[in-house]
Amino acid sequence: MRNRSAITPVLRGVTLTAHRHEVICILGSSGSGKSTLLRCLNLLEVPNRGRMWALGERLKLREAVNGRGGAVLDRRQIQRVRASLGMVFQSFNLWPHRTILENVAEGPTHVLRQPRREAIGVAEQYLAQVGLADRRHHYPRHLSGGQQQRAGIARALAMEPAVLLFDEPTSALDPELTGEVLKVIRSLAEEGRTMLLVTHEIAFAREVSTRAAFMHDGKIEEEGPSQRLFLDPASERLRRFLQSHY
Amino acid sequence: MNGFAIQFLHGLSMTVLVAAVSGVLGTAVGLAGAASKLSAYRIPMWLAEIYTTVIRGVPELLVILLIYFGGTAAITFVIGRYVEISALSAGVIALTVVFGAYSTEIFRGAILSIPRGQWEAASSIGLKSWQIWLLVILPQMVRVALPAFCNLWISLLKDTALISVVGLTDIMRVAFVGAGSMRAPLTFYLAASALYLLLTSLSLLAFRMIEQHFVVPGQLR
Amino acid sequence: MQLDIFLQSIATLANAAFLTIALTVPSLMVGFIISVPLAFMRASDSRYLSSAILTYTYVFRGTPLLVQLFLIYYGLGQIEVIRHSPLWVLLRDPFWCALLAFSLNSAAYTTELFRGAIQAVPRGLVEAAEAIGMSRLQRARLIVFPIAFRTALPSYTNEVIGLPKASSLASTVTLLEITGVARRLVSETFAPYEIFLAAGVIYLALTYLVTSVFRLLERYLAGAEPKVARNTAMLSLRRVSP
Repeated sequence: MRNRSAITPVLRGVTLTAHRHEVICILGSSGSGKSTLLRCLNLLEVPNRGRMWALGERLKLREAVNGRGGAVLDRRQIQRVRASLGMVFQSFNLWPHRTILENVAEGPTHVLRQPRREAIGVAEQYLAQVGLADRRHHYPRHLSGGQQQRAGIARALAMEPAVLLFDEPTSALDPELTGEVLKVIRSLAEEGRTMLLVTHEIAFAREVSTRAAFMHDGKIEEEGPSQRLFLDPASERLRRFLQSHY
Repeated sequence: MNGFAIQFLHGLSMTVLVAAVSGVLGTAVGLAGAASKLSAYRIPMWLAEIYTTVIRGVPELLVILLIYFGGTAAITFVIGRYVEISALSAGVIALTVVFGAYSTEIFRGAILSIPRGQWEAASSIGLKSWQIWLLVILPQMVRVALPAFCNLWISLLKDTALISVVGLTDIMRVAFVGAGSMRAPLTFYLAASALYLLLTSLSLLAFRMIEQHFVVPGQLR
Repeated sequence: MQLDIFLQSIATLANAAFLTIALTVPSLMVGFIISVPLAFMRASDSRYLSSAILTYTYVFRGTPLLVQLFLIYYGLGQIEVIRHSPLWVLLRDPFWCALLAFSLNSAAYTTELFRGAIQAVPRGLVEAAEAIGMSRLQRARLIVFPIAFRTALPSYTNEVIGLPKASSLASTVTLLEITGVARRLVSETFAPYEIFLAAGVIYLALTYLVTSVFRLLERYLAGAEPKVARNTAMLSLRRVSP
């Protein structure tokens, strides 16, 4: 997969496969392309070249011509794929004009076309799971960052996605609020959900992930089972990165 | 049609004249209005509040009609025989009143946007009150007020067309007379539209240049 | 200034307010309905589409409403095709001409207003909608427009307040709305102060009414504070379920 911004390629020749029940952590310093990789997966950014499969489907993409961006060919297919890839954003991105219950129920209602009553039920269930049952009628602006991010996770869960994508879920939070969010992510990992997690929380990544990938300069520098990667990194760069982040 | 080209030119200069005079006078009224609204005294504050609320709540056309017919009635009463106020003076007075009301709000907002610290800094180096206004507040206020002021000026340009209703021979009046006598309303009103569009476009351009002039290097707006 | 003339004119002019409202409300609705799709086109990435809409809004915002009204009322009749079309029945009627002019004018301003608000919607909120698989139309309808509308509401309120005032121009094409009736009364009685002031009072009342309604709308759309929201939990559930 290649992704080219106007001047320099952000991602170059990245190959990554996620299997069911895997928790893959993507590490790397800022600017290494790890967020871009995640955003390419649900096509918030369209790669210029490359092949992607999601849930056994080959995604229909148009390659970029003369540096003019690639494009999605089958919009419906992408919408279907996106619906099964739950995304959790760094800055939560909750819709401010909806209560968090409505935020969570929006996808099931309009994308999965569940009856409204059923969608509300699903939303309440997931809000309870992330510990926000009593806050469901609040608007996002009345919640703390940690609560907002938990609501963001509930919104992704309510779509019953096959894979959860986390894009630095705790980076926008005050240190004392990261714990509650990490706790929720950990419990999801324990449920056996398939997850891709971009994070700077190295200790947490090591604890929850089954596999890890280290990115540098748009490429995957090293990839492997977590136990080995964290304890005995082959690449000198990863070794230095791990040292500086503990 | 050739004869009308000259007439349109006269109309154009009349439109520009009325707009320019009411714009300048209205700006003065607006500054006074803003100062009254922000003053520590109750009565000027209330008067300014009533002025802006009333004028901004009624149609511009109504203000023009009131001043034209009311002015005529007043002059007639004073002189003792029927004398009509000129459409030009009635129009300028009316649009000054209107422009003043809207610009009061713009200036008030712009003054309020200047941080308290600016006043404190200025008085701490010993500037007098009028010096603070002239040297510190006004220059900074202009930058904030410009975009809204530009919009207001363009509204004023367009509002001058309303004075043709009481007989001012501006662009609109020339078009109206021409449309009637030549039986070609489409042509004449399109010509008028083009002239107004020219005026508003030139104004936009001019204001963009002025705005660029007031941009402080390195400061985000 | 004679109080009885003033009071009498208020009563007469209040009747004329019905025509003012009959001109204002439909113009407002038509303007709104036209402006929403136009605003999205204007905000779109397609430069061609955006500049086509800009041409419309630029011309209508750059010329006086009075010229637009006269172009439609007097000018359209000069075009043979229109004079022989079935639409002529409407277009030779000053009421429909005024309605058309006010709607197109209002739509031009509203389009630019909404365009600005649409472009101000944070990218991340749209991405969140994309990420759960919403279609383009769903994003526009459920996320972008509701958020943009809330941003634009204060300016939109000003636009709405402007319309009853703008409708006074209808008096120049023989319509007897508030200003039209006032002008006629003045020419009959020559009591300009009493009558025009009475008209002013009625316009002020209309402005006040519109402002209050929109302030309520603003407060409603801003969403209740959490305490209130909890008390009305049942209510809000009923509101979201079909």
